[in-house]
Amino acid sequence: MSFRSGVSAFAVAAAAVVFSGGAHAAPNCGLANGKKADGAPIPIGAIVSATGLDDFSSSAKAASAYFKCVNDNGGINGRPVEYTVLDDQWRPDVSAQAAASLIKDKKVVALVGDMSIPGCGANAAIYKAEGVVDIPAVGVVRECFNSPNIAPINAGPRLSAIGISRFAVEKLNAKSLVCLTPKIPGAAEWICGGMEAWGKLRNVKVSTVTFDPASPDMTSIILQAAAGSPDAVVLTFSKGTVVAALVAAEQQGLDKKTKFVGLASSYALDLPQAVSPYWDGKYHVNLEFAPLDSAGADAQNWRSIMDKYGSANDPRDNFSEAGYLAAKATTQALLSLDPGKIDRAAVTTALKSIKDFKSDILCKPWYFGEGARHNANHSGLTAEVAGDKWKIIGECVDADDPELTEIFAAEKAAK
Amino acid sequence: MNLQFLVSGLGLGSVYALSGVSLVVLYRASGTLNFAIGALGALGAHCAWTLLSLKYPAFLAIVASVVVAAAGSFLYGRFVAPALSHRDRSVRAVSTLGFALVLLGVMGLVWGETIPRRLTLPTDAAYVELLSVRVTYTRIVALGLALATVGAIALLLFGTRIGLAMRSLASDRELGGILGINTTRVDSIAWLISGAIAGASGLLLGDLVRLQPSFLTFLVIPAVAAALLGGLTSLGGTIVGGLVIGVVEGMLTSFPELASYRSAAPFLIALLFVAVAGRSHSLRTSQ
Repeated sequence: MSFRSGVSAFAVAAAAVVFSGGAHAAPNCGLANGKKADGAPIPIGAIVSATGLDDFSSSAKAASAYFKCVNDNGGINGRPVEYTVLDDQWRPDVSAQAAASLIKDKKVVALVGDMSIPGCGANAAIYKAEGVVDIPAVGVVRECFNSPNIAPINAGPRLSAIGISRFAVEKLNAKSLVCLTPKIPGAAEWICGGMEAWGKLRNVKVSTVTFDPASPDMTSIILQAAAGSPDAVVLTFSKGTVVAALVAAEQQGLDKKTKFVGLASSYALDLPQAVSPYWDGKYHVNLEFAPLDSAGADAQNWRSIMDKYGSANDPRDNFSEAGYLAAKATTQALLSLDPGKIDRAAVTTALKSIKDFKSDILCKPWYFGEGARHNANHSGLTAEVAGDKWKIIGECVDADDPELTEIFAAEKAAK
Repeated sequence: MNLQFLVSGLGLGSVYALSGVSLVVLYRASGTLNFAIGALGALGAHCAWTLLSLKYPAFLAIVASVVVAAAGSFLYGRFVAPALSHRDRSVRAVSTLGFALVLLGVMGLVWGETIPRRLTLPTDAAYVELLSVRVTYTRIVALGLALATVGAIALLLFGTRIGLAMRSLASDRELGGILGINTTRVDSIAWLISGAIAGASGLLLGDLVRLQPSFLTFLVIPAVAAALLGGLTSLGGTIVGGLVIGVVEGMLTSFPELASYRSAAPFLIALLFVAVAGRSHSLRTSQ
């Protein structure tokens, strides 16, 4: 069943629940037998960037909720998951300390559901050396997708940029694009570089404009991005800065000549309210996961688990969805192991062997994959601002990054 | 050179200038450099946003922004600042940084740091076009308000008894006290006026920049730079300083090699000014 048809099928069921005044269905996880796991704990870790420029801990909170649900439902064949989450404060040195602490002291069998900005770069080497696998919920930087032992659940900003570029070219008839990105080391090369490489293959003119993220003068920045009258400007940053950029573009009337599109990082339920009605039908974003209000069965299960095992304050965002998926995929893999023989080597083998992990939160099944490049999630939807909400446009579309040629070939061969 | 950025920078520079005036007014009267003006402005702007989102009239929201910031500033100036009045100026300045962080925490709790919001004023709807840039009435109001504030403050300082008292305290605080000036009362009025100006600045910055507590709080930095260009005493110099900083920051956008470091412009301009002014001062002293 495709993602879209899955959504449609469950829409009827969801409507029935809503209109009958019912709540979410009971959470479903692990062995789903209602028995508390009381065996020897299985240590699993996660590193998040919780304190610093922003709080990226929601993925681990969702993974934690899922593991709590698993522990209440038979655990991993009787053994509970002991989930330890450490904050790296956005600092590579702290991230390295956290990884060492989890791997050497806590003896974790894997890292799951994390989201750390410096983590992949700081820790890829130790994961490889110690034979530990990391399944981040959300990878941001290049190293998260180009390390043998790291396989994120999300598509990443590079593919999100290419996905929305493809939409701008194919649906908005754009022939020239500007990648507008904050000056963060490596980000412009990784994200806008992807758009440029993709543009060369598609004969689309792509240029990059970087800006100082601390600069308050968004009007000048947006004027600079639109200076060459590109057909579309791709906003590669998060929702707060996107609102400032869209307001500046609106005040300058730039949308008359130039389209504005964004990455999944600006897909937030509270963004449309801030920019509507002016941007209704005019601002489009790429999605790496199902819409947050999706009626799909797994999306509903994610919300049920968050309601029962998470805190009311835990964000229900895309990062949370990804954390849920990372924990679920890991649980399914661990359940295939002999509970008496669960050690790091066995878990590494099991996680690396994950294939065809299906969820209606994803466009396509997720897998860990071979080699050093992992990007199983490379397909996403597009949403546009419609009043106070997002409206999904069209079907799932692949981000045809030239860097993924081998991955596409391997997927084709596996079919 | 693209003159679009000059026009764009002028709008923001006007608000830097206004914020700088808020600092100078207080510094002249009480000798305290108030690093909390950004946070006070942010607090006022968020209150205004709340009223606007509850469909209250824009006029009420604007007044609320100014009143809330003025009240916050007054309360600190009346009840906290006197306890530190005998301390060194740097200690008093750092204590306002603590006040800013407290306000930032409160705003984080009440409004949240990461929720995208938009503050829209009625003056955003109309604009004039200059060098292919739409200059909204909000930007024109910002420039007009900065100039009008300087005029009003000058009138207060040189045409009223309270202004005379402020100038006396700025000249010699101890002597002013001995002569019978009620320093607490004068200081409180200075804190009140400074806070009101900060409230207006915060409202304009919330509209022109973005409505985010931390972002607005730390926009005190270009305001301090503007005040430094005015020698922390000259209102006219502060206005010029704010405009220069805004324009330079805007113009740097057209230089791709430098555009990514634009936020350093206020520091560099202030540093350059202090170095040159300090050098010429020491030359004059040695002569």
